[in-house]
Amino acid sequence: MVDPIFQSDNTYQLARKMLDASVLRQNAIASNIANAETPGYRRVEVNTDFATQLRAKLESGTKDFAADTADIKPSLVEDRHSRSVRPDGNNVEIEREMLDMNKNTVEYDYLTEVVSRNLKQLKLAITGRA
Amino acid sequence: MNLISGIDVTASALNAQKTRLDIVAQNIANAQTTRGPDGLPYQRKIVSFETELIRQTGTSADSKPTQSVRVSSIQADPTPGTRVYDPQHPDASKDGYVTMPNVNMAYEMVDLMTASRAYEANLSVVKNARQMALKALDIGK
Repeated sequence: MVDPIFQSDNTYQLARKMLDASVLRQNAIASNIANAETPGYRRVEVNTDFATQLRAKLESGTKDFAADTADIKPSLVEDRHSRSVRPDGNNVEIEREMLDMNKNTVEYDYLTEVVSRNLKQLKLAITGRA
Repeated sequence: MNLISGIDVTASALNAQKTRLDIVAQNIANAQTTRGPDGLPYQRKIVSFETELIRQTGTSADSKPTQSVRVSSIQADPTPGTRVYDPQHPDASKDGYVTMPNVNMAYEMVDLMTASRAYEANLSVVKNARQMALKALDIGK
C-alpha cells in the first residue's frame, strides 16, 4: 500500500542502495586501517561492479527500479590490483584510506540529505505544508 | 548489525596499539635493568600483530568478512646487549664487564611514535563513523 509511493522515485531507491554501499565501505576502511600494520594483510574494498551494474540499470531506463536492482548488492572483495610495496606483504596505504574515509563520509552526508529532502517533499505533497 | 559501522574492528586495533604502547613503556623503563627475575639483563620485547576474522559483514555470501586485529605474540628480542666495563657494578662479571639490556632508545621512540599515530588514525575512523551514524538519525528531519 505504502510501497508504491516510494517506488515512484528512482532517486530515493538509488540513494538507499548507495547508502548501503557507503556503510559497507566504512567497514572496509575500518578494517584496513585497523590492520595497517598486520603482516600479510590484504586490503578490502567494495566491489567496483556494484556501481557499474547500478549505472547500467539506470541508463537502460527500467520501469520498476527497486525490483530490477534487488539483486545488485554491494559486497567486500580483496583488492587484487594494488601493488604491495612492503616486505611484509601488507598493501594498506594509510593516507589513501584516510582520504577514502573522508570522501565516504561526505558521500554519506550527501545521500542522507537526498533521502531527507525526498521525504520532506513527500510530506509536503501529502499535508500541503512543509 | 552495529549502529556505528566497523566499530568492533577499530576497537580491536585500538586495543592492539595500546598493548604496543605498553610494551614500549616497559622497554624504556627497563633500559638500565641488568638483573631480571632470572638473574639476566632485561631483553627488549617486540609485539607482533595478526588478523582475526570476526564475522561476515557483507550482504551477500561471497563477500569478504572484515578482519579485526589482535596481538599474536610478545617476544623477547634475542640480540645480545652491549657489554660495558664497570667493575664497581654489583652485576659485573669476574672480568669487570656488565651486560646491559639490548634496549635501543632510538628504536623505542620510533615505535612509540608509530603506535600513537596508528592509534590516532583509528580514533579518526571512530569519529567519522559516529558522524555518519548521527547523519543517519537525521534522515527525515
